[in-house]
Amino acid sequence: MTITIALPSKGRMKDDASAIFEKAGLKIVAVGNERSYRGRVEGLDDVEIAFLSASEISREIGSGSIDFGVTGEDLIREGLSEADARVEFCARLGFGHADVVVAVPEIWLDVDTMADLGDVAADFRARHGRRLAIATKYWRLTQQFFSSQHGIQLYRIVESLGATEGAPASGSADIIVDITSTGSTLKANHLKILSDGIMLRSQACLVRARKAGHTDDPLVARIIGAVQGAVA
Amino acid sequence: MPLINLPAFAADLLTDFARLGTLRVDTPVIQPAEPFLDMAGEDLRRRIFMTESETGKSLCLRPEFTIPVCLRHIETATGTPQRYSYLGEIFRQRREGANEFYQAGIEDLGETDVASADARAIGDAIAILTARLPGKRLDVTLGDQSVFEAVVAACGLPAGWQKRLIHAFGNPNQIEALLTRLSSPQPVTGLSAEIEALLASGDDATLIAHLDETMEATGYSTNASRSPKEIAARLKEKRALEKTALDGRTLAVLREFLSLNMPLADAPAALFTFAQKSGLTLDGALSRFDARVAALGNAGVDAKTLTYRAAFGRPLDYYTGMVFEIVIEGSSAVLAGGGRFDRLMTLLGAKERIPAVGFALWLDRMEQALAKLKGEGAQ
Repeated sequence: MTITIALPSKGRMKDDASAIFEKAGLKIVAVGNERSYRGRVEGLDDVEIAFLSASEISREIGSGSIDFGVTGEDLIREGLSEADARVEFCARLGFGHADVVVAVPEIWLDVDTMADLGDVAADFRARHGRRLAIATKYWRLTQQFFSSQHGIQLYRIVESLGATEGAPASGSADIIVDITSTGSTLKANHLKILSDGIMLRSQACLVRARKAGHTDDPLVARIIGAVQGAVA
Repeated sequence: MPLINLPAFAADLLTDFARLGTLRVDTPVIQPAEPFLDMAGEDLRRRIFMTESETGKSLCLRPEFTIPVCLRHIETATGTPQRYSYLGEIFRQRREGANEFYQAGIEDLGETDVASADARAIGDAIAILTARLPGKRLDVTLGDQSVFEAVVAACGLPAGWQKRLIHAFGNPNQIEALLTRLSSPQPVTGLSAEIEALLASGDDATLIAHLDETMEATGYSTNASRSPKEIAARLKEKRALEKTALDGRTLAVLREFLSLNMPLADAPAALFTFAQKSGLTLDGALSRFDARVAALGNAGVDAKTLTYRAAFGRPLDYYTGMVFEIVIEGSSAVLAGGGRFDRLMTLLGAKERIPAVGFALWLDRMEQALAKLKGEGAQ
């Protein structure tokens, strides 16, 4: 059986992923020219490499049209319901670090924890005639974290596909849920992370779609073993 | 449109509703999504079927009837009191079972005799289920958030804590976590020296002005979200309470209350004893509770057969008082659920406060119970 591995198609993620695979003894070579979106692994004829965008990788791994993918844990958990039942996180690769966090305006001096935020959310409608608005592109993660983990139901999500950090200052939302690696953009926008507001510490992962055919496939085991060895 | 999957007893239900003097209404299947998300919370989003209109308006397939019936009442400016009944399909995404199923129910809007209206809702639900499921023993559980509200108020808890406790009511995990948290002091830390000084000075106006200036300087418009005044007030409240913790005695009283579980007929006496023993003044809430039990008796419902559980609440923000659920003895499938929602009408835009109580019947579960009943009869 041919095994398809999807890798990020551009940028740091592409270079870092290629470096890990090379260290694992799985040197990736492009098919055709350097810009090609297809590749193979030197010496392994049964492996195909597809270069896709990070969010596409999460979608394709969910549908099972690829066997392995390298992408951020945040994108997998946001993109797939019941992610752990559908995919296996085989290895954390040590790059692409980003935390998904709940951040509120710095000036909310009285709000340090999710419990504080729950108080504010419960009262929001009575005070402002509308629900607390959260700008984010992480609908699923936000719902899980707010509703299931912290029992906060009374808020509205405002979809934000870019420059989310600016939403509270511009007035399009009250708070945000977004990724941050250094926190500098949050700071520049006068936002602070709640003390228990880190929803997910994400990094790039080697992810496998849980497929029945993988169980006894030595090639699958070999790829997992090699990548795990390279990051150990 | 003939609906072939309509339960066989649907016609009987409609007869029941007519006999009870209700006005049958229907509402469009396609509804604006906003009111549902606003009332039930964002978590509902993944459980309803949403789409968009051509102009980008969020629409959904009707996930329940209470909100559409109430909105219809407001739009048609019908007078109160008015009792509506409905029977139709609702749509929800569920892990198990069908995604479209029938619900029927009654919404009683504007009846000011609260005890009688509560009793009538419970009595109607029981009568309908008894008539449709002959020979089945029903378990009716009743709770009352307003008694809990009276208990936390009588305990003399700070207003902010009362609000939090009431908000968590009906969710055992959340209540437990909250009681644990309130049992230890919550220090306020991380404030700048300037803010600390302003707080210590007690000069509210200067503190608010300072927050206002900071918001101006950092580009935060002060009118769109929380105001400096609101932030200052809550900060002061937190500071005032930071050394306070729920004392052992109050904690024990709250826990004792939440553990009350008995036949409804015994509840008035038990609540009276509880209040007396704990030294709490609950008179208003208890007399309203007693009036409801008496009204149930007048409505022909035997309070001995109902269970009162003090901690029982239903997980919807808009319920304000009595809530109830009915299952078949030994089963966990809720056949009927309802309660009082005195706040919903104004939240949905009604100009004046309209007290309201209602219940919904799950027709698919009734059908399953009926099929089981027939199976048992055949043996």
